[in-house]
Amino acid sequence: MAEDLVLDTAIRDWVLIPLSVVMVLIGVLRYFVSKLIRSDQVPDIKIVKEGQVIIRARNLRAAANFIPAKSFRARRHYYSNEENGLLHVPKGQAQNPQAQMFSDPNMAMDMMKKNLSMIIPQTLTFAWVNFFFSGFVAAKIPFPLTQRFRAMLQNGIDLSTVDVSYVSSRSWYFLNLFGLRGLFSLILGEDNATDDAQRMMQMGGFGFDPTRSLGAEKDGLDIVQHDWALPKFEQRAVAVLKKLS
Amino acid sequence: MAVHEDSNPHKKKSSDALDEIPTFNVENMQNNTRVINYSRTFMSIIGGVIAGILGFTGLMGFIFYFLVMAITTVGLAAKTGFAVHSYFDSWNRIVLDGILGGLLSFVLFWTFAYDIVHIF
Repeated sequence: MAEDLVLDTAIRDWVLIPLSVVMVLIGVLRYFVSKLIRSDQVPDIKIVKEGQVIIRARNLRAAANFIPAKSFRARRHYYSNEENGLLHVPKGQAQNPQAQMFSDPNMAMDMMKKNLSMIIPQTLTFAWVNFFFSGFVAAKIPFPLTQRFRAMLQNGIDLSTVDVSYVSSRSWYFLNLFGLRGLFSLILGEDNATDDAQRMMQMGGFGFDPTRSLGAEKDGLDIVQHDWALPKFEQRAVAVLKKLS
Repeated sequence: MAVHEDSNPHKKKSSDALDEIPTFNVENMQNNTRVINYSRTFMSIIGGVIAGILGFTGLMGFIFYFLVMAITTVGLAAKTGFAVHSYFDSWNRIVLDGILGGLLSFVLFWTFAYDIVHIF
C-alpha cells in the first residue's frame, strides 16, 4: 500500500489516451447520429394551443404591474373564469397521458430511437473496453479516497492490497463517461444529445399532463397581487433626470 | 479570462433606476446564465489540466479548483462592470452557479493530465 506502483508507459500510450479520445469521438458521433434519425413529428394542434395559452398567461403574470388594474382584471377573467376561461379545464376532460402515449405510435417510436441512440454506443464501448482493457490498472487519481470507493474505481481488479486511488481501465471508462459531459456541452452546444440527466428529465416528463400545467398557471394567475406601477413612474423619472443633471 | 462570451450584445437593460420593480427579459437572462455555465465548464477543464500538469495532489487540487472558480467569479463580475444586478437577478448566479457541475470535469482532466505527466 505504501510504495507506488510503476505503470508501464505503454499503458498510457495504448490505453489511457486512446480510451479518452475514443470516448470523445463516440460522443460526437452519437450527437450527429441522433440528429440524423430524429424525426420531425407534426405536433398535435391541441397541445400547441395549450402551450401558447400558457405562455400568454405567463406573460400577463410577468407584466401585470404595467397595465391598469381594470385591464388586468379583465385579462385575468378571460384566462381563468370558471365557465369558459382559457386556462380552466373542466373536470373529467383531463386526458390520461398514458393512454395518449399508447394511442400515438410515433411518440413511442421516437422515444425508443432516442433511447437506442444512447444505449447502443454505451454498450458497445463498454464491451470494447471490457474485451481489450480488462484487468489492469490504467490510471491513478491524484487524491486519496476511502476503501468504500474500491468497488467503484477498481472495477475488474480483485486485489485488496492495491491503493484505492489506482483506477482500473473499466472505471476510467466510467469516469470519462460522466466527466466528459462538460466538454460535450462546450464543443457540441447546450442541447447536445449526450446530456443524460436532461434525457432522464425528459423521460420523466414524457407523459406530461398539459391540463396540470394549465391548472398550475391558473392558480398562479389567481394569486397575483396587482400593483400598478405607472403612477410612480413620474417620480422615478424625476429621480433619474436629477441624477443625470 | 478570454472565455466570457462577447456574443451577447443584447443583455438585459439596466434597471438601476427601477430597483423597486424587477424588470427583466427572461430570454436574455437565460442566455447570461448559459454564458456563465460555459465559462465555468471551460475554466474547470483548463484548471484541471493545469492542476494535473503542476502535479497537485489531494486537497491541494480541490483548493486550486475553488481558487480557479473564485477567479472566474471575479472575472465574470468584472465583465459585467461590477453591476451584476443589471445582468442577473442575484449575486448567487454569478458566485455559485455551475461550481459543482464543473467539479466532475475538473477531476477527470486533472486525473488525465496528472497521469500522463507524473505517473508513467
